[in-house]
Amino acid sequence: MKSATSCLAEIESHRQLADGIYSLWVKAPRIARSVRPGNFLNVRVADGPDPVLRRPISVCDVKGWSVRLVYRVVGRGTRMLSRFQVGSEIDLLGPLGKPAPRPPEREVVICGGGIGIAPLLYLVRDLVGRRRLTVFLGAKNRSELILRREFGSLGLRPRLATDDGSTGHKGPVTEPVLAAAAAARHAAVVACGPRPMLAELVRSLDPVPVWGFVEERLGCGSGICYCCALPKKSGGYIRFCQEGPVVRLNGVLL
Amino acid sequence: MTYSVRIGGTTFPNPVLAASGTWGFGLSFRRVSDRLGGIVTKGITLEPRDGNPPPRIHEFPGGIINSVGLENPGLEAFRRQVLPAMDKLKCRVIVNVAGFTPGEYATVVGRLRSRRVDAFELNVSCPNVRTGGGAFGQSPRMVETITKAARSRTNKTLIVKLTANFVDPVDTARAAVNGGADAVTLINTLHGLALGQDGRPFLGGRSGGISGPALRPFALFCVDRVAAKVDVPIIGSGGIMSGQDALDFMNAGACLVQVGTASLVDPDAALRVWLELKQTVPGSRASAWEDIVGRTRRFD
Ligand SMILES: Cc1cc2nc3c(=O)[nH]c(=O)nc-3n(C[C@H](O)[C@H](O)[C@H](O)COP(=O)(O)OP(=O)(O)OC[C@H]3O[C@@H](n4cnc5c(N)ncnc54)[C@H](O)[C@@H]3O)c2cc1C
Ligand SMILES: Cc1cc2nc3c(=O)[nH]c(=O)nc-3n(C[C@H](O)[C@H](O)[C@H](O)COP(=O)(O)O)c2cc1C
Ligand code: FES
Repeated sequence: MKSATSCLAEIESHRQLADGIYSLWVKAPRIARSVRPGNFLNVRVADGPDPVLRRPISVCDVKGWSVRLVYRVVGRGTRMLSRFQVGSEIDLLGPLGKPAPRPPEREVVICGGGIGIAPLLYLVRDLVGRRRLTVFLGAKNRSELILRREFGSLGLRPRLATDDGSTGHKGPVTEPVLAAAAAARHAAVVACGPRPMLAELVRSLDPVPVWGFVEERLGCGSGICYCCALPKKSGGYIRFCQEGPVVRLNGVLL
Repeated sequence: MTYSVRIGGTTFPNPVLAASGTWGFGLSFRRVSDRLGGIVTKGITLEPRDGNPPPRIHEFPGGIINSVGLENPGLEAFRRQVLPAMDKLKCRVIVNVAGFTPGEYATVVGRLRSRRVDAFELNVSCPNVRTGGGAFGQSPRMVETITKAARSRTNKTLIVKLTANFVDPVDTARAAVNGGADAVTLINTLHGLALGQDGRPFLGGRSGGISGPALRPFALFCVDRVAAKVDVPIIGSGGIMSGQDALDFMNAGACLVQVGTASLVDPDAALRVWLELKQTVPGSRASAWEDIVGRTRRFD
């Protein structure tokens, strides 16, 4: 793998998509040229040592020389990120992580839950026309069902689920996904979302291959610190920032 | 004028090293490794180790706590698979060694005869399995025993990386010198505990080691203290993020420095530290460091 470098990128747009969820476009030609679905960027949110570490955010989309990140504010680091102004520069390290493998199966069921919808957009863009896709998106309520229009413009008609029933199926997105995946005989599933969602898919669909974006705590994100252990079913750990973030979930302990 | 620093039989082209455990084996960012004074590898143990369960890292304002737990491929896999790949590196290579008995340190050091290894750094922060408890590094007697055991098996440059957990590093630095060490590294991480809201230990290894800027003032204090009392070359480590930080450690008495946590934030950090440090040198002496190392004590 070519080693990543950090760069300063100008913020082109930064807006709120839903309560606590933001979309950020940055101009980063080097990253835009080389980034693959599954890759993430490690974002420096502070000038000084608080917080010390960068924050990993997946690439949500790429257009020309620009890269899009979509993130949810969950703590101090992401709150600091949300305050960056259009026109200012932001320090990005990447692209990091292993590109997501294209599942060999002809049929792929995509399942995004909450902020986990974001990394799937770029991945789905790559799979459109190459696989038969069924996309399921789920969130707490209608307003947090982000990026529906973007998926739509790829010619896809995502099936929706909300916890409160404000749009689509009322209940967890896993319910319609399980039904669809069980009906399809040779499908693979690619999922991104909360851990319990991923665990439920693997458990209920076994032995159907489930690929997933896992969120682990990272140190460097670039393979040098061994702080990102994800336990394998067979014992030992994978160095998640190098072998992930998209991994075959059937082989790991969630 | 030269920027090089000599320790034991090893000449380092400049005084900035990448610290152990925060730079892998130097292969991910070779363009950086090759411009540093040298790199220190991840800790190598006799047997392979899976390391601790996650989470292995916790963050607090100004630092991190890690509990990687010495995940490493073990001596044989390191020798056969990793070391040959390190042949491409053009920089000095220091192999960091950890063990659970003095014999393990000696075995690892003794079997690494490759010319690609310039020096060893003994990490004495591991718990002593024989006595089922306290770290070797807390006992001057054990530090001397381990250093002697390793010294008897190698002619390469030997560095002992001391801890400052519950021990005066002056005592363990003397012990390292008595055991035949060419230099000491000061300091390794300090013990730290992070708890979840429900009181449960946050890290998979229960507790971990504090590193980063929060460690710096204490590390600097330790370097200054040992430099005043023990005649031994010192390698400074603890929260170095900038050239000025590195200069501080050299003023306090270190002749080399290591950059650890800063590399996790930016893979170019160690190189940046070196380039910034270089800028601060007046350039009027045969050795750049003549007036710099230990300058602080001249104000006493
Ligand atoms: C490879 C990767 C890709 C990611 N992509 C995205 C993305 O596209 N969009 C997005 O919104 N988020 C993404 N995340 C999660 C994001 O990195 C974390 O939400 C962020 O680091 C939290 O920082 P903070 O300072 O705001 O929160 P903190 O104050 O550090 O923590 C607040 C809460 O977030 C949790 N948290 C902290 N760090 C992580 C982490 N690394 N993974 C999971 N939970 C964490 C903590 O347990 C805590 O509950 C990704 C994480 C990884 C590892
Ligand atoms: C993730 C991590 C792993 C480390 N692993 C080792 C190790 O294997 N052996 C060792 O002697 N020191 C290890 N250290 C300690 C560092 O080499 C360094 O001495 C310490 O972190 C203080 O310096 P810093 O504040 O610049 O990081 C590790 C530190 C970190 C953060
Ligand atoms: S986060 Fe540092 S090796 Fe993966």
